[in-house]
Amino acid sequence: MDGLGVEAHGVARRFGMVQALGGLDLTVPYGQVTALVGPNGAGKTTLLLILATLLGPDHGVVRIAGHDVRTHPRLARDAVGYMPDTLGVYDQLTVDEYLAFFAEAHGLPKDERPRRIRALLSLVHLDEQLGQPVHALSRGQKQRLGVARALVHRPRVLLLDEPASGLDPRSRVELRDLLRSLAAEGVAVLVSSHILSELEEIADRVVLVDRGRTVGEHAMADLAAATRSRWRVRSLDPGRLMAALAGRADVQPLPGAAEVGPLTEAEAAALLAELVAAGVPVTGLAPASGALESVYLAMTDDRR
Amino acid sequence: MTPQGIGLVARQEIRTRLRTGRWKALLVVWAVLVNGLAMMFRLALEMDDQSDFGHSGVPMFGGVLLAVLILTLLVTPALGAQAINGERERGTLAALQLTRLQPGDIVLGKLLAGWGTGLIVLLLTLPSLLLPVAEGAIGIGRAIVVLLVTGLLIGVSCALALGWSALLARSITAVLMSYLTVFGLLVGTPLLFTIALPFTAAPTGSGYDRDHPERVWWMLAPNPVVVLADAAPRLTRRTVQTPHGTFTESPPNDPLGGISREVRDIREGDKGYIDRNDRDEDAGPVWPYGLAFDLALAGGALWLSARRLRTPMYHVPRGVRVA
Repeated sequence: MDGLGVEAHGVARRFGMVQALGGLDLTVPYGQVTALVGPNGAGKTTLLLILATLLGPDHGVVRIAGHDVRTHPRLARDAVGYMPDTLGVYDQLTVDEYLAFFAEAHGLPKDERPRRIRALLSLVHLDEQLGQPVHALSRGQKQRLGVARALVHRPRVLLLDEPASGLDPRSRVELRDLLRSLAAEGVAVLVSSHILSELEEIADRVVLVDRGRTVGEHAMADLAAATRSRWRVRSLDPGRLMAALAGRADVQPLPGAAEVGPLTEAEAAALLAELVAAGVPVTGLAPASGALESVYLAMTDDRR
Repeated sequence: MTPQGIGLVARQEIRTRLRTGRWKALLVVWAVLVNGLAMMFRLALEMDDQSDFGHSGVPMFGGVLLAVLILTLLVTPALGAQAINGERERGTLAALQLTRLQPGDIVLGKLLAGWGTGLIVLLLTLPSLLLPVAEGAIGIGRAIVVLLVTGLLIGVSCALALGWSALLARSITAVLMSYLTVFGLLVGTPLLFTIALPFTAAPTGSGYDRDHPERVWWMLAPNPVVVLADAAPRLTRRTVQTPHGTFTESPPNDPLGGISREVRDIREGDKGYIDRNDRDEDAGPVWPYGLAFDLALAGGALWLSARRLRTPMYHVPRGVRVA
């Protein structure tokens, strides 16, 4: 067994005249959270549908937990948990009936089901909602129920399409912790999202897609070191700060601060040393935007 | 496809359905209405009855049965025509397709749920249908056969509705098409037959044209009313003595027998003068053809539905959302 939960090479898919995916490559290793980032219409949802074995690719090879989705869709399906972006639930059921239905549909042995359902409910912090009808849940709770449903059969690969959209800050933090703990247990997690600051905190790797193709695949750690972003310098004395920065062309004054860049982390460190040496009372130096956001904006730059 | 899978889908379908509508109230209203009307029909028949032959339970049984058949066929599209595209619209189908449930499990489970509901609707009309049986006007054999056939026809209608719900993306269109299909079978078939009949006219040789209904009788066969009436075992005939001779006669007020004789005559064709004695030595039953056609149609609808649920989908029809 190799270390990849998802392996996709040259995946292409066309809907009528629209080429949704044009030869996309992607790998999702076990034990890590991989972020799938791209503008609207980049093919993220199409890709996730293909990985979830719901949609067939026109071309290319997709292996889920080592099983080719074309030749062994059932084996691939057993290994994958998927949460779609628009989640429908059976409103008439209670929370535990809902999970019991899917536990049975996934073929879990009867004596194992009650234990599994309780474990899932406590995993997604819905223990107290046991017995409540699904329609009485809040949006965040429904989202978590959706995650529990996707996990019912202990998949080794988990795919989530925009899981954080519409969630309040607390639910987001809980979702983040949940995904991190699943990854720690060895699950290969793939998350698509627009909330880049969010992804920066949970993802180990990021795959950038645009117009149906992979345009970049990075480890989060490398990304922060390698990308150039704008940096914000705060000072007690804005006048001296601006005077010290006078020689630079990339400075934008802000109230009580200045934005400089784009710079790499190394260049930012050098700038700080320079400013301190010049006697500027610097109170803060921080990236104005996350590394992921910078990469994303650079990628979509030509769209404007 | 497994019995467990089919059962799981059917139970789920029935459970969600029971919790959405006011099913108990609806079923009570249905039972009271149908049985009440049947009893009033019976009283009216007895007021009117001057015949010395044939129990008034006979027209009651036939009349109520045909009314119940037509009504249930009109109710069933509502049970199945949203089964698949409704789940697509709510975004719950993908979750089902991701489990170990196979397309066949989903389709047959949903069919079973709809059919079961249809059979309960039929069951509620039993008091007025079984009264003539209890009175001895209708034999048990006839009652069992017609109930079986009615049950099968309800299943056919459910399967057709399910097929439309798999084929069409919007549930409102699927409901409409299901009603049109039932309407086509009930009204369209006699209409088609009536239109086709003049085209069968051929010269007899004696100077005028004659229609040949025996060439187009099959157009009537798929009609559920024809299937049901023709499948019903005949009632006992009686022997009548007249100045012109002795012959046998069927009870005159039996709607099922009447329709059955009519379609068998059509199948036999216009042979000119027929001795009344020979009238029942006809061309043979029509219902096996009709029932076979209807069952084939239902089977086709189910097969198509299962095909539409297969994943991964390589061809996505317009307007269908995958998840």
